[in-house]
Amino acid sequence: MNEDRYIVFDHYLQDELSVEDKVKFENQLAEDPELASAFEIFKELNLHLENKFGNADEFNAFKENSKSISNDHFKASKPKTKVIGFKPWIYLVAASVVVLLGLFLFNPKPNFEDFNQHENAYFTERGAVDEKLKQAEDAFNAKNYKAAISFFKAVLKEKDTPEIHYFYGISLLETNEIQEAEVVFNELKAGTSIYKNKAIWNLALAKLKQKDYKSCKEILLTISSDYEDYEQVQELLKELD
Amino acid sequence: MANNAIHPDQIYIDGLANNNSAMIQSIYKKFVPKVVTYIRNNSGDEDQAQDVVQEILILLFNQAKVNKLQLTCPFDAYFFLLCKRKWLNELKKASNKGVTIREDFASNNEPSDEMVTQTEAFEEKQQLFDAMFKKLGDKCQELLKLSFTLKSMEEVAEKLQVTYGYVRKKKSLCTGQLTQWIQETNRFKSLKIT
Repeated sequence: MNEDRYIVFDHYLQDELSVEDKVKFENQLAEDPELASAFEIFKELNLHLENKFGNADEFNAFKENSKSISNDHFKASKPKTKVIGFKPWIYLVAASVVVLLGLFLFNPKPNFEDFNQHENAYFTERGAVDEKLKQAEDAFNAKNYKAAISFFKAVLKEKDTPEIHYFYGISLLETNEIQEAEVVFNELKAGTSIYKNKAIWNLALAKLKQKDYKSCKEILLTISSDYEDYEQVQELLKELD
Repeated sequence: MANNAIHPDQIYIDGLANNNSAMIQSIYKKFVPKVVTYIRNNSGDEDQAQDVVQEILILLFNQAKVNKLQLTCPFDAYFFLLCKRKWLNELKKASNKGVTIREDFASNNEPSDEMVTQTEAFEEKQQLFDAMFKKLGDKCQELLKLSFTLKSMEEVAEKLQVTYGYVRKKKSLCTGQLTQWIQETNRFKSLKIT
């Protein structure tokens, strides 16, 4: 092998020859086609090796990227059976992730409307017919809460019982006068009437209606298990979790 | 030749060279379906079409990187012809002749023919270079690899624990060895590689 020739090639490409040697070399190239062809190959080899090794990272990135674009392109047009046959566990994992995400993002929170089945009011069973109270009762039982509120307000001026307060509170809650409703229920909660636990339950419902699930749960947990509708409390707690 | 002005479709070549995903996707969208149809109509299936397309894209990437590939014809015709000829060669190989098709384009003289010829010559050259590289001894292979991976020949010398002068000389001689083998092959094949 003509070693010197290749050393000169390299020096020339690195621009390390003296002006004199450079001219001499270029003249040789012009006169000797065999030398010129060897030099051309030598030059091209440098480009080729530069690309093969120097650009290896770029090349691998291109290979990977184009492969994944290719897979996306061809996956879309391939029959489904083929797709499923290809690593089915990936799809299982993907499906699980979707389900889990769904549980996190779209976990159906309980609605106020699922738990606001209030008992009917029966104020008038004890004989003496109070006209206003009767109207309030009828309006309440007909779920006409707006009307019920004005009747209750009138009644409460003369008659102030936990029972009336309780139904008045529910009417307020149903018409979205939540703050006022909470005042009423908190008074009942502070008292000792049989409406104590029911009031707490409704305080929880007030939070539920405002989608304040955390407070709702906190309130529910304060209701003692001897509350007559404790089943509902448990059901709502379960749905909140 | 009529003219060598760069065709506007050069954007696809540049897109490949820059690993531009949007461009690659648009190549798949616009030009690949035709190739798939052709291969399916010529005893191939979609998987084979996918491989052919990928091989051609890699070839174009390399050619763009090494030779600054300049497109002088529409990408569509050029790309389709490359894929088509690659596929026909695969079929030919499969029919165990082991000889690649070398049809000439003399008859139709489309502007894309010259581009395709260039690209196929590049591929052939690249394959020859790679094959010769594998014939080199381990030391030459390692030194050349490091020469083009590391930033300077000083670093190569340090890495190999030899002198700078030695790695410079050795690099010239290893590349010289490759040059000599390729020249001999060219003479033998009487193929003009450069």
